Amino acid sequence: MEFVHYGAREIFGGMTVNVNTLLITWLVMAIVFAIVMLATRNLQMIPGGAQNVLEAVIDFLTDLMDKNMGKEGRFMAPFIITLFLFLLVSNELGMVPGLASPTNDINTTLGMAVMVVLSVHILGCRQKGFFHHMSHFVKPHPLFLPINIIEEVSKPMTLAFRLFGNILAGEILLVVLGVLVPFVIPTAWLAFSFVVGILQALIFSILSMSYLSNAFKSGH
Amino acid sequence: MFNINMTLIAQIINFLILMFILAKFAYKPLLQMMEARRSQIVANMEAAESDKLAAAKLREEYEQQLADAREQAQQILERANKLATETQESMLRQAREEHERLLKSAQDQIERERQKALADLRGEVVSLSMLAAAKIVGRNMDSEADVKLVREFVEKLDDASGNRPC
Repeated sequence: MEFVHYGAREIFGGMTVNVNTLLITWLVMAIVFAIVMLATRNLQMIPGGAQNVLEAVIDFLTDLMDKNMGKEGRFMAPFIITLFLFLLVSNELGMVPGLASPTNDINTTLGMAVMVVLSVHILGCRQKGFFHHMSHFVKPHPLFLPINIIEEVSKPMTLAFRLFGNILAGEILLVVLGVLVPFVIPTAWLAFSFVVGILQALIFSILSMSYLSNAFKSGH
Repeated sequence: MFNINMTLIAQIINFLILMFILAKFAYKPLLQMMEARRSQIVANMEAAESDKLAAAKLREEYEQQLADAREQAQQILERANKLATETQESMLRQAREEHERLLKSAQDQIERERQKALADLRGEVVSLSMLAAAKIVGRNMDSEADVKLVREFVEKLDDASGNRPC
């Protein structure tokens, strides 16, 4: 029994894309864009309404960033804020009947995770220089190179599969519960999934911060 | 279910597009606004703090001035009290002196009057004695020698050693 349909389709040159995932992703992008634009349309020194809510979220995230990455990581704020809002809206959109989260596709979560880990290395090379940054792979001893490589590969894997597993499992269970017990319990699971969606977006963002902070630390 | 394909690259591109659009149109002004607000709040709080300190200093100054004024008032009051006491004493002393002086002058005058009365009495006694003696002796006793004699007699009456004949 197939619960989710990604709508995989071959487009030009033998490349396969999941059309359903892409469509829902564009919807997520539109929603995030609309929310942020609505909140920042008329910026006030004394915030109110949507601006206040968005500022609270941003303040929360930048505060976490300052604690994890220090002040020099401040310029990554748009990255982290967008990541959080994108994942949050993605996760919660799966609650809407007839829609599926883009994050129930491993391509989305792994894409985000790979992007985060690549950002760490790009930033690390920019901040500390290529050789200094890469020297971390042979520390504390060249024998640790395999372990360090495994660690570096496991970072995006765990990041991606945690989010993917949580969201996909949540959606499958929602369908299964709906078939088995039509009342109350699917609703309760829906409420739980709502919280899980927020938490997973937050966990992904915080772990991204903590990985990114490695790019700013010199000795570790 | 786990087939990884070009969607992965597409999602990264999607995310980056969203991030750059939002960063350009929303985050930059919003973060600037938040930073401006933060610095304004910090400045306001610092201003409030310095105002508070200035107010406390001013209050202390005023309290000091008030205490000084109170002390001065106390001093003035004490000086006035002292002056009043001194004035009272000096007036009393003057009054007492005046009283004594008046008393003494009155006594002196009385003494003078008494002496004068005594002298008058003495003259009267002399002339009365002369009259009486003339009656007894049967002749006029108005010669110089007689007056002298009687006067000597009367003055002997006052003598303290007093060989009084009577």
